[in-house]
Amino acid sequence: MDVEALVSLVLTVLIPLYVTSFLLYAVRVVKGPTIPDRVLAIDSLGYDLAAFMVVLSILVRSPLMVVSGLTLALWIYALDIYIAKYLEAREMGG
Amino acid sequence: MIDLVLVVAGLVLIVIGVFYDFIGAIGLLRLPNFYTRLHAATAGAIGGAVVPMIGAALVALGAEYLGPPRFFLAGAAFTSSILLMILAQAGSHALARAAYISGEAQREPILYDALREEGGG
Amino acid sequence: MELVPVAIAALSALLSVVATYLAVRSRDMLSAAVFSAAQSTAYALIYYVLMAPDIVLVYVPVSVGILPAVTVLLIKKTERYER
Repeated sequence: MDVEALVSLVLTVLIPLYVTSFLLYAVRVVKGPTIPDRVLAIDSLGYDLAAFMVVLSILVRSPLMVVSGLTLALWIYALDIYIAKYLEAREMGG
Repeated sequence: MIDLVLVVAGLVLIVIGVFYDFIGAIGLLRLPNFYTRLHAATAGAIGGAVVPMIGAALVALGAEYLGPPRFFLAGAAFTSSILLMILAQAGSHALARAAYISGEAQREPILYDALREEGGG
Repeated sequence: MELVPVAIAALSALLSVVATYLAVRSRDMLSAAVFSAAQSTAYALIYYVLMAPDIVLVYVPVSVGILPAVTVLLIKKTERYER
């Protein structure tokens, strides 16, 4: 078996597992009782989505598509800081 | 030969990453309160995002059918994994501190609270 | 094999519909901002699997980075719960 068929087979098998775990994260986003639960679930969802984008760019054979994964992984971090700063400043009266 | 070794090592790392992703998702769904879910979410972020990105970089270095842009893919994936290894824990820590100080999340299944005895966070 | 991107895009669109409904119905404005970020993440996945990474490159900083910042700043200046 050559390299191309091996990579395509393994990555095609892995796609439904990724999608299932994204749906489990999304259940926590919808259901989470408080604000930090939802932010934490969106955070993990974004990081794993970035990894999924990197893997998918190998599968569809266009390596320049990897930049959107890098962008998503670095910008989803900002949501944490906004919400944390709001929650912390409201209690301290700032 | 070295190409096949790189590709197999990268695919093994990607499979390990999917396993961690599943564990993180199930733990985030089943654990009782916010501070225990934090543990599952950080395991899902580090094991489920940093490890598959390094694996994808190894696969891209080994797979010659992608052409010359595969070095770009490898470099971007490696840089992104290194940055993510710093950022994920910083974000989780900031969120945990904010949730403790503001009292937003419930602390119900708790055994010992050292921060309250010291008088605030 | 050609149906896989369409299936992923359909699931992501379903998630974005749920997130938009919850953001409209929510009484807590901060929770609505978080749901709007979830909708942006789902749209980024849709744009990616439909082979448009340049649109993801513009959409993600605007919709995940700038829009929640402006919304949280507005909530901080006014009030959090809707009456």
